[in-house]
Amino acid sequence: MSATLERTAPTVAPRRLTPAKDSRKLIRGQVRAGWLFLSPALLHSAIFIVIPVVAAVVLSFTDYSFGDSWAWVGFGNYVDLFKDQDFRAALVNTILYAVVVIPVSMALSLAVAIGLNQKIKGLGFFRTAFYIPTVTATVAVATIWLWIYNPGSGLANGFLSLFGFAPGRWLSDPNTALPSLMLVGIWQGLGTKIIIYLAALQGVSRDLLESASLDGASRWQKFANVTWPALGPVQFFVLVTSIVGTFQVFDLVYVMTKGGPGTETTVLVLDIYQNAFQALRLGFASAETVIMMLLIAIFIGLGRLLQKADVND
Amino acid sequence: MTSATVTAPIAAPSAWRPGRILLYVVLTVGALLMITPFLWMVLTAFKSDLEIAKFSWLPGELRWHNFVEAMRTAPFLRYFRNSLFIAVGETAFTLAVCTTAGYALAKLPIKGSKALLSYFILLLLVPFQIILVPLFLIVKSIPLFGGNNILGQGGIGWLNSWWGLIIPLGAAPLFTFLARQFYVSVPNELAQAARVDGLGEFGIFWRIMTPLIKPALITICVFQIEAAWNGFLWPLMITTSDTMRPLQLGLAIFAQNPAEVQWPYLMAGTALATLPMIVMFVFAQKRFVEGMANVGIKG
Repeated sequence: MSATLERTAPTVAPRRLTPAKDSRKLIRGQVRAGWLFLSPALLHSAIFIVIPVVAAVVLSFTDYSFGDSWAWVGFGNYVDLFKDQDFRAALVNTILYAVVVIPVSMALSLAVAIGLNQKIKGLGFFRTAFYIPTVTATVAVATIWLWIYNPGSGLANGFLSLFGFAPGRWLSDPNTALPSLMLVGIWQGLGTKIIIYLAALQGVSRDLLESASLDGASRWQKFANVTWPALGPVQFFVLVTSIVGTFQVFDLVYVMTKGGPGTETTVLVLDIYQNAFQALRLGFASAETVIMMLLIAIFIGLGRLLQKADVND
Repeated sequence: MTSATVTAPIAAPSAWRPGRILLYVVLTVGALLMITPFLWMVLTAFKSDLEIAKFSWLPGELRWHNFVEAMRTAPFLRYFRNSLFIAVGETAFTLAVCTTAGYALAKLPIKGSKALLSYFILLLLVPFQIILVPLFLIVKSIPLFGGNNILGQGGIGWLNSWWGLIIPLGAAPLFTFLARQFYVSVPNELAQAARVDGLGEFGIFWRIMTPLIKPALITICVFQIEAAWNGFLWPLMITTSDTMRPLQLGLAIFAQNPAEVQWPYLMAGTALATLPMIVMFVFAQKRFVEGMANVGIKG
């Protein structure tokens, strides 16, 4: 560090000003530099985030479609949406997907994190193994699973035949298409949650755990009375990120099923994409994004209530 | 990877020995479930068309030739180069914009810096999918690009251009926030000392403060590279020509028609798309894990 300081030392002695004047000048320079440093980020976020958010809401009340002429339609888009079969299917499928994937993946990842927290050998290996699906692009994950689910010679049916089960049709069977996608979603999402839980578990107070042991608490009592309450804030964080993540599911569905068979696996973002870029109904698609925003907010609110109830128990 | 030191295990109470073994068994089965799909991908990449006609584990011989053929069937190498270009461009852009902003928020006496910080935190909660439609319209009407006039009319703006692929999704507020968190922990005395020595504000930022937050820079790089490399929806929306397509889009197009897909080639392409990120993760594991523990991104 001293080396860098020496290198930057000027050859001339600093000008002597009165201290007050000197510091005022310095502060002014700092403020100027501050705004200069901030301007690219402020400009970028205004153009590419703030304006689009406002525009999404405004567009949702119009019948805009790439052309020059458009009209206000008030809540017309919203009324049409709820009459729209595809949207209704997308809404139901997205909620189903979230309601299954979130609790299952949270429970599984917490269980694995507790296992990894037991001072085991080979932690690095296990952590890497569980995390690799998370760093892999969802499109790549989707192509791999497309091949696993291949009805003819895929791994899934090969695995079933080992145990003497009949082969499944997975993605092309209306009854199993959405669950097959859920399985991939759960599989891919574990890594992040495990790592967040693991970090939280390592922060649970050792003193409390030890004093509980001295009081003769069983493992289960320690978990229920010390560990679980300490995980509260982290649970909520994981829940919120999971909600936002599951509502945005798109890549998996786009590559694996395109929403089929029929509309069995159509999800919100896929429907938004199709309405906006294939049917060119931008106003209509914007109304859908607004509904999605509201849904995410509602889900997060419910999560908050759950957490509060848990704390008050 | 952790290097387990070989020491004589302290005699553990035999009561939980079986439990210990069970734990290892369960964790190992879990880890295998995580890795097997990737093994299946690699093994498939070496198989012949005959071998994939019915279920089998191992290929008869390692057909490296498949990788060459895959390149011939679809321009995977070009896709690869495009993805690399987008990842590097976006990372450079993000570093430049987010470190300066983060530094200003953390260290410079700006009026309302608390409010500005809240502004960035609020923005990092906005999911990209929500703004997808207007973002497309804005990018389409960037003035003076792609045949547009000064009002952003008449052309395609940044659609189908590197600008459009790199700039809008770069410089995420998350990274401004991350950079700020790290600059806050650097002591002010260093900057003060440098000011007394007559170093300018940019010099202080660039030569004194930023070298001290190398871990943060690496974290930002790793996350941004991963996000850019794995992006799919945005390039799907704004590119129409094969010359611009990144890897993920190329893969999706190649897998378009499950009935006719040449699986060994698709798996070879997928291996090409996944292995760089896996290698990067193994090398930068510590950063990744620390970063993830502080900010969860994927659902």
